[in-house]
Amino acid sequence: MTTTLRRAGLTLGVLLMAVALNFVIPRLMPGSPIRAIAGGGDVGELTTAQRNALLDRYGLNDSLWVQFRDYLTGLVRGDLGTSLGDGRPVSTHIGERIGWTLLLVGTALLVTTVVGVFLATAFTTSRRRNVDTGGMTTSIAFDALPPFWVGMMFILLFGVTLGWLPTFGATALVGGGGVVDIAKHLVLPASTLILTGLGQTYLVTRSSLIAVMGSTHIAHARVRGIPERRLRYGHTLRAAALPIHTLVLLEVGWLISGAVVVETVFAYPGLGRLVFEAVEARDYPLLQGSFLLLTVTVIGANLLADLTYPLIDPRTRVSS
Amino acid sequence: MTMLQAPPRTGRRRMRRLGLGGVGSVGAVLLSIFVAAAVFAPWVAPFGPSERSGTPFDRPSSTHLLGTDDVGKDLWSLLLHGTRTSLVIGIATALLAIGVGAAVGSTAGLVRGWTDTLLMRLVDIVLALPFLPLLIVASTFAGRAVATQVVLIAALTWARPARLIRSATLEARTRGHVEVAEGMGATRWRLLWRHLSVGAAPLLIPLFLRAAMGAILLEASLSFLGLGDPSRASWGTTLYWANVRSAFLTDAWRWWVVPPGVAISALVVSFGLLGVAIERRLNPSSVER
Repeated sequence: MTTTLRRAGLTLGVLLMAVALNFVIPRLMPGSPIRAIAGGGDVGELTTAQRNALLDRYGLNDSLWVQFRDYLTGLVRGDLGTSLGDGRPVSTHIGERIGWTLLLVGTALLVTTVVGVFLATAFTTSRRRNVDTGGMTTSIAFDALPPFWVGMMFILLFGVTLGWLPTFGATALVGGGGVVDIAKHLVLPASTLILTGLGQTYLVTRSSLIAVMGSTHIAHARVRGIPERRLRYGHTLRAAALPIHTLVLLEVGWLISGAVVVETVFAYPGLGRLVFEAVEARDYPLLQGSFLLLTVTVIGANLLADLTYPLIDPRTRVSS
Repeated sequence: MTMLQAPPRTGRRRMRRLGLGGVGSVGAVLLSIFVAAAVFAPWVAPFGPSERSGTPFDRPSSTHLLGTDDVGKDLWSLLLHGTRTSLVIGIATALLAIGVGAAVGSTAGLVRGWTDTLLMRLVDIVLALPFLPLLIVASTFAGRAVATQVVLIAALTWARPARLIRSATLEARTRGHVEVAEGMGATRWRLLWRHLSVGAAPLLIPLFLRAAMGAILLEASLSFLGLGDPSRASWGTTLYWANVRSAFLTDAWRWWVVPPGVAISALVVSFGLLGVAIERRLNPSSVER
């Protein structure tokens, strides 16, 4: 029960922290927020009246308390402000984009976890030092690849040179939108995320496995003559599953971060790309709204994973 | 099997004296190349990092080994000067992050009780925040100077070292001589300086290397999104302009896109390999079984 409470507290804490940072960061930074609103341009040219009109429009003349209260009530109502670029509500922008990010990150998460855990188990438990060292060195190399650069290389190889796959957007501009079309557009961005995420998954799984491999119950199982394959997947991996499960939570964070640059490279219309567009256009409400939603996505994934905890660890099942 | 191994040949023996093994030696050699490039960049590089020395989009030639970018800057010089940015950010950020992490982690492990609980909940929260988006938001408002980037990246990466250092502190406290010292009335400070720091110090090196790897990749991502320090050469920034100008759709990818990407990966790998070798040396049980 305490675990549930602790996790609920963590969820709440992360959410509050994100909300607070979102409010504090623009106001803490040196310089008038006007500069940010006016697009970072020269604000010296504005007359006092223009200045005050701008400040009034964004409620920046009120006391910090009032500003914070208005900000919070807005959030509760689902109001994230309006985009400076086209005047549409930020929530509308986000609504259009979030599906693509969920599709991309979800696919990458699934494949990375399954492949990474399988490879780590196969190589780490092989009991041959060279195989283990090779696997570890390779995963360090994969982990060192900058995702945006891998994306560019993929575009070059599979898009430009070989012409196998589309490299732009999530659907074809003309006559797109079918399942095959969406899948085709998903292959390269997802592969980029998977390739660069495999290393971390491998390394964490490996250290979790090694901690288990030294324990007595594994030695005992080996003495009992349990076949190697069952020993690997049935005993060692089973006992190492909980830390791996925690890893999946961290992975969501990495993948979301990776998605920002990968979506930018592939012009994939998700939340990550929206972050980049907001930075380029100096559209601050849009930027902050996207950040908040990305945090909510991570929290959502955490909650989902929490629900599967009892499936993996019998100790966390509530006894009747 | 190890007993039957032939004695090491002389060339290897020298490396073995360093105690880094094959993996670690590769890392050390790679890293020294980068450090040399960073130190000597102003003398080795033919042009300055912001000097427009040629016509835009030049192909590689004897004056411009890797051609020029879209405003006529020499790409080879940018590559050399970019090494400085990456190394400075990696090392400075890692020092700061490990400093904060060590302070928080050892305090939590020493004081325990409410302080410990509060600090560790804070660590959990920081770990769960999506760090690149947060970094983007923060640096959009805080500016792009290298010093700012160092502080911001460290503010997001101290949490994992803090947690590991806390558990190392807790573990070190259960050792016999530390328990005896505590029983004899040693103060917390004395425990920390005389006993725990000795136990936890070796852990700091791999943690430092890992923090540096993360920082270098984060800076590259940030610069690639156009948020790099505009007054400095950065590999990420070079790639940002390559992406904006669609350099990979032409021949230019060979000298404009590949070198910075390879440089980032190789630098991060060199830290990673060194880390593995050092960890192996400090804690053989993480590999032997």
